Amino acid sequence: MPEAKNIYRPLKATLETVIDESPLIKTLVLRPEKEFSFDTGQFIELTLNGYGEAPFTPSSSPFVKDKLEVTIMKAGHVTEKFHQLTPGAVLGIRGPYGRGYPVYNMYDKEVVIVGGGCGLAPIRSLLYHLIEWKDRIKRVVLCYGSKTPADCIYKPLFRELNSIPKFEAHRAVNVADETWDETEGVVTVLLDKVNINVPDSVAVVCGPPVMMKFATQKLLSMGFPEDRIYLSMEKNMSCGFGKCGHCMMGEFFVCKDGPVFSYDEIRHLPDIWR
Amino acid sequence: MDKYYLTSRGSFEQFLVSRLTESTIYAPFRRLNVLDYERVNEENVKNIALHEPLPATPLKTFFLPIRKNVTLDVNGSLPAIILGVPACDLAALDLLDAVYLDPAFPDDLYRKQREQTILIGTDCHSHLKHCHCTIYNINPFPERNCDLVLSGYQSDVFIRILSDKGQKLLKDMCSRIPVQEATAGDLETVKLKRMAVRDDITRQNQGLPDLKHTSTLLKQSEYWLWKKYASTCVGCGACAAICPTCTCFLLLDRPEFEKVRQLDTCQYPDFQRVAAGEDPLSPLTVRFRNRYLCKYVWRPERYKVSACTGCGRCIDACPGNISKNELLTELNTGEVKISQHA
Repeated sequence: MPEAKNIYRPLKATLETVIDESPLIKTLVLRPEKEFSFDTGQFIELTLNGYGEAPFTPSSSPFVKDKLEVTIMKAGHVTEKFHQLTPGAVLGIRGPYGRGYPVYNMYDKEVVIVGGGCGLAPIRSLLYHLIEWKDRIKRVVLCYGSKTPADCIYKPLFRELNSIPKFEAHRAVNVADETWDETEGVVTVLLDKVNINVPDSVAVVCGPPVMMKFATQKLLSMGFPEDRIYLSMEKNMSCGFGKCGHCMMGEFFVCKDGPVFSYDEIRHLPDIWR
Repeated sequence: MDKYYLTSRGSFEQFLVSRLTESTIYAPFRRLNVLDYERVNEENVKNIALHEPLPATPLKTFFLPIRKNVTLDVNGSLPAIILGVPACDLAALDLLDAVYLDPAFPDDLYRKQREQTILIGTDCHSHLKHCHCTIYNINPFPERNCDLVLSGYQSDVFIRILSDKGQKLLKDMCSRIPVQEATAGDLETVKLKRMAVRDDITRQNQGLPDLKHTSTLLKQSEYWLWKKYASTCVGCGACAAICPTCTCFLLLDRPEFEKVRQLDTCQYPDFQRVAAGEDPLSPLTVRFRNRYLCKYVWRPERYKVSACTGCGRCIDACPGNISKNELLTELNTGEVKISQHA
């Protein structure tokens, strides 16, 4: 009988390219030592050898197996170290973990996606999936918000999306400058501007907790049922398999039962937006 | 009653000494006021404290040490026999096994150690001030999760087999020392002692709600209760460290992509804090409440097993004199028993 796999040991991956997305956000393009599959919305634990580990949802297409892109915002000491890496560095990957986006529930539907800040990373992976699936869905509307024009990430993605039939992408910034000719305001303002056929739609929200809270409230007020609003609950996922307890949210382990939940699954819990 | 075997305390000690070349044996010993596990050797075997409640260290520490490199293989130490495990600690294995042997992500190190260890449970012949196992449907004598059960009275050692490993060990015992089948008459004293201890524990915990009711009450609990009882909490995490079912951990990184698993607890600040700064378990009152909800609501709902086995260690260990039992009794009956919280 083969020796059981050690669940704590990472797979090695080499850093190929570093892409600057914004002053605080970079995308690392990794080549794992063997093919790596994931479902869109699942996450990985990325290890900096001997230093630390942090959870990230890959921002690349789930259909690409030999490369993996991880978009990282500089927020703490581990992410700061990730930002200092240069091509050739060897990192560790554990996963994929958890339950990703329920793409099968998007079949023949309009998909409204609300993203904020670095929360666009998991959404980009979902968008790549939906682009592959464009014959199976009715329409995709992306509403993305960031603090300033400089904080907008994946700038080429918006041009690409707006050139694909059935896809449309809208952006808003909290504070505009003279270069900005799109919407100024919080991301939920965009939801007033797009025409959505709510009974035929599902919604996806990913971003900072406060943005998720207000986006969910807005979607509910638009008539979205609680079970068709999908939220990426990014908590302090550490082990990835429901043992260490760091991401426990009520009876759920976000790492194992999520990170994607429908709002009706978690609305009974205290403090979900913290 | 199930089949029991009988040997003498002297013969049993002889058997333990004869097994020392094949197994590392741990048993409880009393030093001053502390009862805790130590390694058995030829000299100390006579001092093993069977049937006393309660080893200071919970059984979990054998399988989930405070700190362990989990990316290295298990070293080739002798298989262990752990003797003198109380029923509350054995009951805790229901939850530990559910978490660490989860078929989707089995922890291979934990599995190997569980498989290589022989557990010998023992009846409690008395109880401590905070023992309350019976409130949670656990008798103060082992009925599951071990290989053999020892019950004793004076110089007699009664042995019950609970697993194949136990059967094998008893067979080995029979080849080394005199062992006979116990008669119903022999067992009468054992039975009476068990019932007496069980009833005493139930009696001393009048007013403490059972598991199901505790869960209902906690779901309805209000913030003032948590604020009141958390007022003397210093967030030291002693309650969780000493708890037979608390097993949350931190994964630390070491060179060569090695990982070290270190016992952690939701009672420590920043346990759930994310890089951007949000911390769902802040302030301390929220952390304090979290442990109760985890034990009596969330873990039981998820794993269908109890996450508190009524050992009472958390009450003894608390430097803030916080009694979980007083909190739950107040929640249940509205009566406040302790002056400092009144």
